[in-house]
Amino acid sequence: MNAAAPLEVALLAVAVALGVGVYAVAVTDGLVARIVAGDAIRPGAAFLAPVRTAAWLLTQTRTSTERPDAAGWALAPALLAGLAVFALTMVPLGPGLVVADPDTGFVAFSAAIAFVMIAVFLHGWSPNSTFSLIGAYRYGAQALSFQIPFLLAMLATALPAESLSIVRIVEAQEPLWNVVRQPLGLPIYLVVGLAVSFWGPLNLPDGSDLAGGTSAEDAGIAGLLWAVARSSMLVAVAAMGAAGFLGGWYGPLLPGPVWMIVKTVVLLGAIVLAGHLFARVRIQAFVLVSWVILIPLALLNIFVSGAFLL
Amino acid sequence: MISGPIIDIAFFVFAAGSIVAGYRVFKTDSMVRAAFYLLASFAAVGGIMVLLGAEFLGMVLILMMAGEMLVMAIVMVMFMMNPAGLNPMVMVHQNRVAAIAGVVAFLALAGVAVLGDFPDNPAPTPAAATEELGVELLGDSMLVFQTAGVTLLTAMIGAVVIAGRRGRYGVAEDGSVEPSLQPDEEDAT
Repeated sequence: MNAAAPLEVALLAVAVALGVGVYAVAVTDGLVARIVAGDAIRPGAAFLAPVRTAAWLLTQTRTSTERPDAAGWALAPALLAGLAVFALTMVPLGPGLVVADPDTGFVAFSAAIAFVMIAVFLHGWSPNSTFSLIGAYRYGAQALSFQIPFLLAMLATALPAESLSIVRIVEAQEPLWNVVRQPLGLPIYLVVGLAVSFWGPLNLPDGSDLAGGTSAEDAGIAGLLWAVARSSMLVAVAAMGAAGFLGGWYGPLLPGPVWMIVKTVVLLGAIVLAGHLFARVRIQAFVLVSWVILIPLALLNIFVSGAFLL
Repeated sequence: MISGPIIDIAFFVFAAGSIVAGYRVFKTDSMVRAAFYLLASFAAVGGIMVLLGAEFLGMVLILMMAGEMLVMAIVMVMFMMNPAGLNPMVMVHQNRVAAIAGVVAFLALAGVAVLGDFPDNPAPTPAAATEELGVELLGDSMLVFQTAGVTLLTAMIGAVVIAGRRGRYGVAEDGSVEPSLQPDEEDAT
């Protein structure tokens, strides 16, 4: 056991991880878009692009709709960002570097993921507008479909640890990472993680086919806050994937937190790349795949992992 | 574990939040808003359960309620023909019966709270409580929970069959005739 870092240090680590992570996602997203499109890469412009976008959004006039639920509309981005922070406080960013390690950390993290659907639905419902409401209903269908595969894929990682504590789940991976021990786990988690953070091919609620979906009516600072909250959730999902499947802070030579950063960045990169390489999936297809393929695969994953542990 | 006044303050914040949100469920004029207020109320109760040392149950309550309230909101909107649940509507009815039932339930619960003889045992640690719950679910109470589980599964399959494309009312695409706008007119099918 490593000595636990003080609470202030752990909180600072979460803040830095979210701040840098959100910025890195924005930069990488822009870079990958140019690479995939075959455009010339200008690193200076790529690093400034998120700042430019933020500045542009901050100077935009805020708009409103007819009879919106103003409180819900204002609450949604704060709720989503708050859930990302809450989820990340459960994830150990290094040996002993965790804000809270309750014995039920896995359940608490899952509760945050379940609440994401409330945040997204609220965000799409409250503007009282057609496209955003369709986006909200889409995420409802999406969220209810990914919930069970997500829980099952994560639950398998708790089997070798014999605990629901996320620190224990990481510690149980010292001899062998879960990505090797449970080869089905990480692919399922990544598909579901894309759905949780509605990114890339699974960006159905905020898709451009709905003129922005739940954020169709957002302008100015509201749009900026929603974009930041969305990326924060992506960072939390990637960090949890690194902790749950890629052995967390374990790795040769480098210190623990560095390994955690490397693994999180690898997962973030894979997700951002997927956003530019795969076409958007239809919601019907995703719901069907979730219930008919992902749930049986996740159950198989649990049975096989359990059988190996007996 | 955090202890002392912080726990007390957290309890009162959760308790007040739960009561206020529960009150707002009935005072709001939208079904979706009512569902979200109910969710807030339940989440506060989940927080109180965590404070009481029932970490697993509290967190599971919060986890389950998120999905359930969303499903409830969507199903209510579908059944009530109220587009998006944004049309104002009164959330209370049968006021006299409801008031009597509310007062009786409050008095009964308050009676239990005031007159009841509560055991004075220290709560087990959250890890022990979680383990006890797991042993109970897969031990003595297994038959009860499995029976309930299979019954629920049967109900869900039945609901899917009824709601499916080839459901009780024939092929879905052939049906779905809008109700007439004239009250006395027969449904023009």
